[in-house]
Amino acid sequence: MNNIEKNKLRNKMKKIILLIVSLFILSQNLVASEQTILKDHFLNKIEEVIVIVKDKTLEKTLRNSKIVKSLTPMFDFTLMAKLSLGKKWKTLNSSDKKEFVHLYVERMKQSYSSKLDAYSDEKIEVTKVKQPKKNRIELVTNLISKDNKLEISYKFYKPKNLKMDKDSWLIYDVVILGVSILKTDKAQFREYLQTKTINDLMTQLQSK
Amino acid sequence: MRYVVFICLSLYLMSFTGCSSKVEYVKKENVIFEKQSEEEIEEDAFLDEFEDEMKVEQKSDPLSGYNRVMTNFNDGVFEYVLAPVASGYQTVVHKEIRSSVGNFFHNILYPIRLINNLLQGKVKNSGEETGRFIINTTVGILGLFDPAKSYFGLQAHNEDFGQTLGFYGVGAGPHIVLPFFGPSNLRDALSMYPDSLANPVDYHDDRGYNLTNSYGESLFLKAYERVNYVSLHEGEYEKLKKDAVDLYPFLRDVYEQYREKQIKE
Repeated sequence: MNNIEKNKLRNKMKKIILLIVSLFILSQNLVASEQTILKDHFLNKIEEVIVIVKDKTLEKTLRNSKIVKSLTPMFDFTLMAKLSLGKKWKTLNSSDKKEFVHLYVERMKQSYSSKLDAYSDEKIEVTKVKQPKKNRIELVTNLISKDNKLEISYKFYKPKNLKMDKDSWLIYDVVILGVSILKTDKAQFREYLQTKTINDLMTQLQSK
Repeated sequence: MRYVVFICLSLYLMSFTGCSSKVEYVKKENVIFEKQSEEEIEEDAFLDEFEDEMKVEQKSDPLSGYNRVMTNFNDGVFEYVLAPVASGYQTVVHKEIRSSVGNFFHNILYPIRLINNLLQGKVKNSGEETGRFIINTTVGILGLFDPAKSYFGLQAHNEDFGQTLGFYGVGAGPHIVLPFFGPSNLRDALSMYPDSLANPVDYHDDRGYNLTNSYGESLFLKAYERVNYVSLHEGEYEKLKKDAVDLYPFLRDVYEQYREKQIKE
């Protein structure tokens, strides 16, 4: 091989490396922007909720239903209901499935609303954004009040196909101070179902 | 340049075909053996993806019978004694004062936090804790106020001996619900003793330094601290309880997950 050929080859190699590197950087940027978009969207939603909370003219139940309505597109309650039953889910018949999801979602909304009543001027900041997988993002936030700090993590996943009336990234678990809502429910339900039936569980959920 | 484009393009195509052929294969198999609808298969695969992530180990719970009884006992104590007392106290004593009382008790427990931060080799946190103690004891008037946080931005680093043991890999052991104290486990329950030795509020006969003069006095102070704490966190336990389908396993799992997180930090 003479020198000219060598040079040509070297140039070609350089170009290939450059292209690969730039592709790599580009994809990194895409990932990063995906995270920032989600983070900004999340913070906007929070802002929206805070405006509703601070509106003193609203009556409590109306206010809570407004908030739930504004947050619902961000949560996949149905998925949470399914996951909370673990392997048991597949064994349910379709009417039980429907009924269980309905009860679980209502319970979630209820629980969230009751927690909202305690709100007073806390601030929320996002401290970390993790992306353990391509279709998973975790936003680690701090709920900062005057004399307390509460770490709450929101776990998002990206469904393959966009769902009706839903965001492109959806929350499937909320972790408060290391306590996962979904895991706690799952463990509870599993233990409950060891001695009782799914119908007992549903009556129990209904009575709450 | 043409080569480059070609290589990239073929790489891309290869990765795509790799994917789609795999999916095809799985689908075919399922259709033959299980006769599920395509939608169901997709949903199953989708749920399985979360199954690993959400795996909850079912730990053995040898004391569950006793724990259940004790959970009900503690729940009763809370509902019929602690909560009413705290709410009465709350109406009489202003929030600022109660908050200062809370600060005072927190500040005085500095030895426990220092020792356990040091035992875990957390030098920076130990330094911050010491800075907090010095500032809050002097400027903060015996710990009644927390200028270390509000003016110097020094955060508290709560550590106890249970966390120290966990830090060195000691497992939680069976879950134990303690009377009055609530959920605990073998590791954390045993750790209460070494922490108590470093606790200035606790009374120890054979210890040179005691702030209290008798066991009774220290018990009274601790009960008071508890009432004060509950008055500052009104309604929190009740709200937490609402999420429970069955109170005992709920509180147990919340406690164990929370402790695991504390140990990791």
